Amino acid sequence: MFILIKREIEDHLAYFVGAIFLSAMIIAILISAFYYSEAAGNEPVFFFLSIPAIVVLTIGFSSMGASQMYTDRNRKISTFLSSLPVTRCQILTARIITGVLAILVVLVPLTVAGTILWRLFAPPIPIFPGLIFDLSVVTFLMGFACYCLGLQTGWTTSRITPSLGGIILTCVFVPLIMIKGFGPQIKIILLLFIIASLIRTWQKFKHTAL
Amino acid sequence: MSENVVEVQNLAKYFDGRCVLDGINLKVPRGCIYGLLGRNASGKTTTIRILLGHERPTRGRTFLLGTDSTNLSAKIHGRIGYVAEGHNLIQNYRVGRLVKLCKNLSLHWNDKFFNHLMETFRLPMDRRVKDLSMGMRAQLNLSLAMAIDPELLILDDPTLGMDTVVRRQFLELAIDVIQKQGRTILFCSHILSDVERIADRIGIFAAGKLVVDCPLEELKTRVRKLRVIFAEAIPQNLYLPEVVNLQSQGREMIITAVNWNQQKQAILETYKPASCSELPMSLEDIFIECTKPISIPIQVEKWEM
Repeated sequence: MFILIKREIEDHLAYFVGAIFLSAMIIAILISAFYYSEAAGNEPVFFFLSIPAIVVLTIGFSSMGASQMYTDRNRKISTFLSSLPVTRCQILTARIITGVLAILVVLVPLTVAGTILWRLFAPPIPIFPGLIFDLSVVTFLMGFACYCLGLQTGWTTSRITPSLGGIILTCVFVPLIMIKGFGPQIKIILLLFIIASLIRTWQKFKHTAL
Repeated sequence: MSENVVEVQNLAKYFDGRCVLDGINLKVPRGCIYGLLGRNASGKTTTIRILLGHERPTRGRTFLLGTDSTNLSAKIHGRIGYVAEGHNLIQNYRVGRLVKLCKNLSLHWNDKFFNHLMETFRLPMDRRVKDLSMGMRAQLNLSLAMAIDPELLILDDPTLGMDTVVRRQFLELAIDVIQKQGRTILFCSHILSDVERIADRIGIFAAGKLVVDCPLEELKTRVRKLRVIFAEAIPQNLYLPEVVNLQSQGREMIITAVNWNQQKQAILETYKPASCSELPMSLEDIFIECTKPISIPIQVEKWEM
């Protein structure tokens, strides 16, 4: 399994580099937002910061999932791997673990930086203490949902479907988060979507001729 | 341990309503080199793909090393070497990286033998697979499949793209290494001389059916091609059992039949032919006769031994 995960990471290294770059960029923007808002005596405007970040994350993760499946299908990677002591289940599991790792590469530094900044620049009014945790969980679930949709749409020979999948999902999730916030409802919706999407991906991947 | 390394039971496969395989039954015993022959799109590759679990059958079951093909574990895959038609290697990888990946994923890797093959074939480790010639890709695929010391080697047109010298080298290697160790080979090729050189047993596919399944020597002795000339017109009610091909022109009739014996000769004599002579047949002739579209409707029967 480790070899398969390593292979997936090496094949999609660009996404991991992109994830690190994105994470670093958001942290830099956060620091400057906190610093300048405190200097100016205003609260940081997270709303305007979060929208482009969410859009980039959703498109990025869905394109990663789509890319993994699309390149597999086009280059017949699973066909080759299936001739080795590897099962389809292992191939897909390794792929999903890689996707989770890519999401964590963005999220873990962001969560750590967010927590530190929160403590350094404590807001004047009391705020729900689990906000950063909730925010991280929802972002993770949203990233993973996008990734799952990417996996599902990528397992097709069409070029249009994978591209459209990410855009449609972004259009659905961004307003959903804006309306519902980061509460338990959105977590349940995302979890249900992830489960359904993974089951469908597994069915398609298992039963398609390699 | 199962005696039959490969087993196919009443296999049928339809693609968009088109029948590709129609009730195939096949058994390959351990230690056998089985040559699978057939024209293009006769169902050889589909059978192999179903055997390996790459494709699902419409009907019937297939077994590899005693395990159902739809449920092959990683361990079973590790005992099977496979060279796919067209060599499905990861094209954008360098040879070295692909070799490393295969080596790391394999349950068993014969480094000494693999290096020997790489030296024999002179394969560059630093080049990308897509930059290799067709022949070199074939050599690489063969080397990877053979390096795992497979219990069963499935070769789907393995010598495709190889020059004569390399093809001969490969066949000699296949014979030496695999046969010495009592391994089983399921070998599918369009180059009949290759099959004739190494196969113990032959299976011939025609229009999705396995029309021949018997040992090579047996096949050569059992198939007869006869030129029958009648004094007048060919009898309308002529019937001979186990005829695979029958062509007629004027008073002359060319009959290709299996299991030709005194009894069948006697049946033919009842139609009072003016002359009856036997024509020599090579494996290629037998193959062509078996896969030729027949001019009159004849029940093509499977010959089993």
